[in-house]
Amino acid sequence: MEKKIKEEFDVVIVGSGIAGSVLAKTLTNAGKNVLLLEAGLQAGMAFDPEAAYQNYQYYLETFYKASAKVPNSPYPNIKDAQSIDVLDIEPITQCNSPSTKGYLVQAGPLPFGSDCLRGPGGTTLHWLGSTPRMLPNDFKMKTLYGQGVDWPISYDDLMPYYEMAENEIGVSGDVRDQVGPDMGIQNYGKDYVFPMKEIPQSYLDQVCIEKTQNLTVKLHGKEYTITCISTPQGRNSIPNPAYKFAGTYWNKKAQKLELAKNDEEYEPVGAIWDPNTGHRCEGNASCVPICPVQAKYNALKTLRKSDPKRLKIITQAVASKIYTDETTNAITGIEYKKYKYENSTVYDTAIARGKIYVLAASAIENAKILLTSGIANSSDQVGRNLMDHLVMLTWGLLPEKAYPYRGPGSTTNIPTFRDGEFRKEHAAWISPIDNWGWSWPVFSPGSDVSSAVSSGMFGKKLREHLNDVLPRQLLLHFECEQTPDPNNRVTIDPQYKDQLDNYRPVIHYDASEYMKKSFEAAKKVSDQIFAANGVEDYTAYSVANDPDYVTYKGQGYNFWGAGHIVGTHRMGTAKENSVVDKNQRTWDHDNLYLVGCGNMPTLGTSNPTLTMTALSFKAAEAILKQLEN
Amino acid sequence: MNNHLVSSRTFLTISTYLTGYNEVELLGTGMLETYFNVFLEKFSPKTLHYFFAEVDEILLESAGDEDKINAAIAARLIPDSAYDGIAKNIILVWYTGNWGSDVISTQSYQQGLMWDAAEAHPPGAKQPGYGSWANLPIRIPTK
Ligand SMILES: Cc1cc2nc3c(=O)[nH]c(=O)nc-3n(C[C@H](O)[C@H](O)[C@H](O)COP(=O)(O)OP(=O)(O)OC[C@H]3O[C@@H](n4cnc5c(N)ncnc54)[C@H](O)[C@@H]3O)c2cc1C
Ligand code: SF4
Repeated sequence: MEKKIKEEFDVVIVGSGIAGSVLAKTLTNAGKNVLLLEAGLQAGMAFDPEAAYQNYQYYLETFYKASAKVPNSPYPNIKDAQSIDVLDIEPITQCNSPSTKGYLVQAGPLPFGSDCLRGPGGTTLHWLGSTPRMLPNDFKMKTLYGQGVDWPISYDDLMPYYEMAENEIGVSGDVRDQVGPDMGIQNYGKDYVFPMKEIPQSYLDQVCIEKTQNLTVKLHGKEYTITCISTPQGRNSIPNPAYKFAGTYWNKKAQKLELAKNDEEYEPVGAIWDPNTGHRCEGNASCVPICPVQAKYNALKTLRKSDPKRLKIITQAVASKIYTDETTNAITGIEYKKYKYENSTVYDTAIARGKIYVLAASAIENAKILLTSGIANSSDQVGRNLMDHLVMLTWGLLPEKAYPYRGPGSTTNIPTFRDGEFRKEHAAWISPIDNWGWSWPVFSPGSDVSSAVSSGMFGKKLREHLNDVLPRQLLLHFECEQTPDPNNRVTIDPQYKDQLDNYRPVIHYDASEYMKKSFEAAKKVSDQIFAANGVEDYTAYSVANDPDYVTYKGQGYNFWGAGHIVGTHRMGTAKENSVVDKNQRTWDHDNLYLVGCGNMPTLGTSNPTLTMTALSFKAAEAILKQLEN
Repeated sequence: MNNHLVSSRTFLTISTYLTGYNEVELLGTGMLETYFNVFLEKFSPKTLHYFFAEVDEILLESAGDEDKINAAIAARLIPDSAYDGIAKNIILVWYTGNWGSDVISTQSYQQGLMWDAAEAHPPGAKQPGYGSWANLPIRIPTK
């Protein structure tokens, strides 16, 4: 049954998301031979223009035809490597515990609210693409605020890698606009600019900014001045002529990764099927779940820049178990199951071998593979501290039309509550202003049509009603930073396996008082922003609306998952308190690295992928050093 | 066959009163035949027959007086008990491109009138171009 591949590779990587792709690209271009195992279908890994285009059109058509246009809707969800899907989230009750509807086994008490994509390119195919950096204070949560843990590295340590990540993703933004608590020009290198100019802020943003910029709000007896800033993001806009970097390369002599200087203007990275398509965001307003022109970054753009002579990719290969040498503790191989075709129950088992191994299968899957293999866990931290941004949404009608449902998902955010002394008491948050009406919480505009029609409205009245209401819809997010809790965790249980006999992740999840208190605070701030803008509040929370429903001081709140799956194999200062060291190498196994958001000890208020990508470059550098010494 | 042609014409006319969009706008979606066929498939020939007969009668007796037509539609077509709810379904199909929760076709999704009513465009299609979202939507006056 078991077959061995003959070649020996320098590095074996599991997963072709942004973490795995950054590794594959950086290592092959530094002359290393890499084997990449990817669980998803071969069709999604096509790089020749014709096949890549055909496959992507198939995704797009699947999206058009999907009745619920959720993040995973364009992409195949195959039984051999199921994706976590938001459509499977349901309340966990006494007679429904655990909930086993989807890939995750949700033990509760609250269901985990986010999904990710198992397929070539991973979750960046459907991410939104917001790329703010973390704040320096985010790295010192324990010291400053007595919450969570400190990181084993500082913001300054990560600075050069942030620049590599912004280059790789192709960030559009205005550095001078990145002002707020613990934010400012000092967080960037001298004269630093992003590769492309900022994405224009939406008309809706401008309407909101008018009455929100410099608004004073009161919270727990303190006054705060609200500001609105443009959001850096991974979608193409106009190249910034002042940007002078080409790409990241391995400086063998100095034994470090560096950004190469470039005298030419930065060139936006286009679609994988045609480098000339997607040089500008065209305003499709469907970034989640699919950008039709690939103006938005996805990991296949990075993977395509690998050295093809040094990269072997095996698709439909689901990594299932890692083997170690009992005496040295070194990893000796990764077992994977290669299924024949979509949903097939027939598979071959093989073992991939290399000098160094990297798991890049995303936070929950990485933890599950480690737990299955019984390795890297001398700290007992594998699977623990699962985090996400708990997104409280508030929605209402503006007094004037601001025309949502246009442009990228969000182009402006309110950074005011990203940092402050209040973090001792409750979670910090970032507040993106949303460009897509009430689609997220109440499925507008379809739901507006059906409720108007069922009330008997028709004809010109109906048209006028929709034309009055839809353009006035406002949605605010309050993305609250979840703190690490060892009981929010991934486990495995022999009762729950998938059709390839791999474990399904079992999730235990809850929202702490610290989080609930932030919902209360965020709602108070929202109320004041709504009042200043003359917004009529339509926010309504209920368990029927969304299974993640909590009460605090007698008030009910809903939160939604942000897709930011973080913390399941934390990085730390010592073997006893963490799974990986500051280079993302497991403390227990010298030749095993983990990459992805699972390494993040705390979450901060920024969307995590930029920071995680920076960490992935750091891991690549450490691997190159290890291979060469 | 001939009957179908007649009813498809009636279907278009009543659709204008039900949706608030004029014939040119509805024909411009390119969806008339597809949607008409959906109704032929989803409802019994008998119910459809009674429905179109009622529509013909309303149009005839109101002689183009919009208020009269609207009053008759409200009283005789809109109630859920009238003709298995055909009228409300006509509105929903034109606005959403869906039959219930099923998307009728990739085209129907892109042609849903609700995106036009929002002065937007269906996400993932008919993209208005770089930076367009920073300005007021462009509207071609139709009335
Ligand atoms: C709706 C949504 C919006 C988001 N928006 C943002 C945003 O605006 N900004 C931001 O910073 N982040 C955002 N995120 C989060 C972001 O998408 C993820 O942090 C990021 O894509 C994770 O990358 P990754 O490479 O670690 O994992 P993934 O991209 O999930 O890739 C994992 C890869 O591993 C493969 N794999 C999994 N299991 C196996 C196995 N057993 N064997 C072999 N291969 C395997 C998968 O097929 C996949 O290719 C969003 C997420 C969602 C869901
Ligand atoms: S707005 Fe449209 S073109 Fe721009 S990134 Fe999003 S989907 Fe792509």
